[in-house]
Amino acid sequence: MAKLKEADLAYTNDLPGAERGNPSYFENEVIDHLLGIVLELGAQFWVLRDRQAFLEEQLAAKGVVSLEDLEHGTPSDELQAKLKAERLAMIQQVYGRLYSTYGGDKAGPTSAPMS
Amino acid sequence: MSIQDALFPRGKIAGVYPTLTTRGDEAYVEFIEDARNVLMHAQQRPIGEYSQQLMTDAGIADSPDPETTQAAIDLLMQDPTLKTYYRVKRSLQEAFWSGLSKSLNQRRDEIVAAFDAAEAAGPGTVEYDDNWRENAPEYASREIHIQPGGYVKDELAGPFYDYGLKVFLGGAADHDRLAKGVSMATAVPDDGQVSRILDLGVSAGATTIALKEKYPDAEVWGIDISAPMVRYAHVRAMEAGAEIHLRQMAAEELDFPDNHFDAVLAMLLFHELPVPVAKEAIAEVFRVLRPGGKFTVLDFPSVRSRGVYSMFFAEMDAADNGEPYLPDYVRSNVEDLLVEAGFELEHYDPKAALTRGRVVVKPAA
Repeated sequence: MAKLKEADLAYTNDLPGAERGNPSYFENEVIDHLLGIVLELGAQFWVLRDRQAFLEEQLAAKGVVSLEDLEHGTPSDELQAKLKAERLAMIQQVYGRLYSTYGGDKAGPTSAPMS
Repeated sequence: MSIQDALFPRGKIAGVYPTLTTRGDEAYVEFIEDARNVLMHAQQRPIGEYSQQLMTDAGIADSPDPETTQAAIDLLMQDPTLKTYYRVKRSLQEAFWSGLSKSLNQRRDEIVAAFDAAEAAGPGTVEYDDNWRENAPEYASREIHIQPGGYVKDELAGPFYDYGLKVFLGGAADHDRLAKGVSMATAVPDDGQVSRILDLGVSAGATTIALKEKYPDAEVWGIDISAPMVRYAHVRAMEAGAEIHLRQMAAEELDFPDNHFDAVLAMLLFHELPVPVAKEAIAEVFRVLRPGGKFTVLDFPSVRSRGVYSMFFAEMDAADNGEPYLPDYVRSNVEDLLVEAGFELEHYDPKAALTRGRVVVKPAA
């Protein structure tokens, strides 16, 4: 079988996406930054909310909690299910309006379609 | 340090994935996964309809040719809502990789040491080039999905990829459900003889393991161009108790005899290959399959079943999500490449391209 030479694939260096890059979607890149910032703040808020709920569960069950438990433990399956529902609702409420132009704020969550 | 302590110190996530280092790391990634579910996956249909309407109003034909696709990009990426959608998609991707790598990098040395220790242990075997990083071909070194370090140059590429698949598919791959479905879809010869199976581009090895579970008496081999991937897949196989044989190998240079395998699978491989490489890989599969053997290709649908919006989406994914070979793959109509190589096309339904795939058979000599 003829082996491909490096030159045969040199064109791939210029394909869109060959380099990671740092794309801007808006003429004013500050808007790009702001959208990234509000998503990051949402994620950081959620980390705190998750920790608070886990802390409350631990305290209710044991009356005392260690830092080790909070850092490396895992909430009960029941609490994780409750937190997932809360998380989905929060994301939809806070960010769904970004897509209200076409009614996307009312679209329920779904996993990736495999078709 | 044991694999358990290095990879799963807090138990496994969704049955198979490495544990993140702290509960906080996990909560961060859970937010990203659900943000993708609400702000990406759930939008796919309505934002598609919205985009179609914009194109109809602008008089853009529903043709996937490159010129029309570029006209669609020029039009749609002027729309504030669509700019927002693609900005959010990119930001979530960047945040995911940042959160995941920050978490797993805290245990990097322990995880790599556990991979090293696992190499001599079974069931199954793993082999790779000692100079894997230096010898990685340029075309395979892209940061696919903007994964830091890509698939071939970072020792933790395996767990990064594995957890990435979980999040990108919104949980659809959890508990290896996707891999089990793929093993069911993998076609075998009509005579029912399945002695050897080859899985091309195994990445984390989930499909290879599922194939061994479905065909326990068969010899199951998996190859990947990435040494870090086969090292991780070996650990995954050990955890599953699956005797599979993993080799770092390029699909376009298979180190197997002619007519050696009864069935070959390529799950989501071809859209990660430049077309010239894909053609050589297909020729190699034709060589190593025995007459009557079947080759199953599970991957995205070809251009002939796509309209302009679908091609627009592929072009955007290429540029923003590190999928440089996706548009050319789509336009190559891989089922045609398979037939040109000598295969007979047995099945292809574009609507089930990812679940049933293209199935081709090597004709009797």
